[in-house]
Amino acid sequence: MRKMTNELTEFVLVSVALLGIGIYGLAVKRNFIRMLFAIEIVINAANLNMVAFGRFLPHSGGQTLALFSIAIAAAEVAVGLSLIIVAYRMYHNIDIADFRSLKG
Amino acid sequence: MIEISSTPIVIIAILGAVGIILPVINVIRKETGSNSFYAVIAFAALIISIAYVGYQFINENILPSALFSEDVIVDDAFGGFFAIAMLIVAIFTTVGSFNYMRKQNYPAIYYSLILLSTIGMVLVAYSTDLIMLFVAWELMSIPTYALVGFIKKNPQSNEAALKYFLFGALSSAIIVYGISITYGITGSTNIGEVIQGYSTLDPGLLPLALLSVGMFIAGFGFKMGLVPFHQWLPDTYEGSPPTITTLLAAGTKKAGFAATIRIVVLGMVVLNLDWTLALGILAIMTMTIGNVAAIMQKSLSRMLAYSSIAHAGYILIGLAVSPYSSLGLQGSLYQILNHAVMKGMAFIAVTGIITTLAVTNLDKLKGLGRRMPITALGLTISLLALAGVPPLAGFWSKIMLFGGALDAGSALWWAPWLAIAGVLNSALSLAYYGWIIRRMYFEGETEKRVSEPKSIIAVMIFSIIFLVGFGVYPDPIIKFVEFATPVISSGFMP
Repeated sequence: MRKMTNELTEFVLVSVALLGIGIYGLAVKRNFIRMLFAIEIVINAANLNMVAFGRFLPHSGGQTLALFSIAIAAAEVAVGLSLIIVAYRMYHNIDIADFRSLKG
Repeated sequence: MIEISSTPIVIIAILGAVGIILPVINVIRKETGSNSFYAVIAFAALIISIAYVGYQFINENILPSALFSEDVIVDDAFGGFFAIAMLIVAIFTTVGSFNYMRKQNYPAIYYSLILLSTIGMVLVAYSTDLIMLFVAWELMSIPTYALVGFIKKNPQSNEAALKYFLFGALSSAIIVYGISITYGITGSTNIGEVIQGYSTLDPGLLPLALLSVGMFIAGFGFKMGLVPFHQWLPDTYEGSPPTITTLLAAGTKKAGFAATIRIVVLGMVVLNLDWTLALGILAIMTMTIGNVAAIMQKSLSRMLAYSSIAHAGYILIGLAVSPYSSLGLQGSLYQILNHAVMKGMAFIAVTGIITTLAVTNLDKLKGLGRRMPITALGLTISLLALAGVPPLAGFWSKIMLFGGALDAGSALWWAPWLAIAGVLNSALSLAYYGWIIRRMYFEGETEKRVSEPKSIIAVMIFSIIFLVGFGVYPDPIIKFVEFATPVISSGFMP
């Protein structure tokens, strides 16, 4: 039992570290693709959490949720990358600092 | 087991089938034009769906209040209420797009994405399981990312879509992380079991429960436009096609509130925390910053975007005082329905102005009352209703919200201040709404009348009848709201 709790703690620590890396990437990077990566890292941190919890809980809801989350993240990235491609065709650049036409 | 004839299943079947078939028809017919053909099909599907919801309510097949269930969705009045609001918004968007999409390409895909996004919004309100809620949330969000950037050649539309996508994807990542923590500490993804798990929580896990609830508020708050998370909202509302702004402002925003009431409000009551103050502070910040920023805007759609942030603040008042006053939450639901109609109508009026005159700048609106009389009348009525002027429907929902805040004053010393802030903000908002109305009717020379799009006129007339009719005689809607509002008290348990 004690060993199990220790293993779970390790998984959760890795997940929290990934969450931190993702938030840091979003805050610091100014390239759209890098920011997309950062968001993916946050989603994967959550997936790791869910799979780890699912391993130690009596039923497998966590694994199901992780599978759903992976599939949905893929759909989301597809839409995001297509938006980035359209932006690149127009600006020849995907730096967020160049997107300043909407201001109030 | 959920029955095959229950409302959410029928809505998924109708809208999903039509939403998938539309692009297929487009491929088979090998043409890109004929916008009206696809618009009529989408409109018919939405009308059939809303008629089915109404039919279920009239036959009393729907259970009152918000329920918990073993299944992933439940056919209750809370979901039905939101379904009606979302479907009204989707109908506004479809009808308003009729003229706008004539000049754009790919109408079949456009209407199909609107229908798919509508399914997502409706399912968010019906879901009783975190997995279902997350899938519905993404089904609602992903089509709107594509729709905001739908005008490919327009840099503003693309910029709006990229900003919206970045914040939207971040919000769903935060929601998944919140769900994963909730699953870890309660051992279930069913919302009923999660809330039961919260009530018997090991005190050592309380910080984690707080963190997960905070992540839910942040994730849903991005879509709702609460103040620390609102930066994307004005840019996206200004840059996206105006019809899609209607869908975002009146539709996806309300789905955020539906999800918040389903999880956060019900969950926090059980956690027995003093969270009301946090939501109260968020409410005051949201409405004040939204209204103050709205005054300084030069563009009509941007000003309406900030006013929509302010309205998220008003709706949040009811959520903040919900454990102490049932009137507050009823006011929130009523305000959600009213705001869907008012804001939808205002943005459809903006669509009409953009398609006929191609202006959004406030200075260019001079003499609009003579150039486009019905659109201007509709915009005036919706602005007055947004400010909460007495004979209109917006007045009653604000009265219920502020009354709920005063009602909770016996238990919370600061609750009356919410009502005071709300009244002051309404007065402030009336100032800039009145300024627009003055521009439209009392300035400018004698301009010639231009022909207004018939679809826009239809939306205006429906909304004017709704706002004035239910403003003069609000009883049926208030009864409906009371029927749909979840009952929350201190001893509340699933």
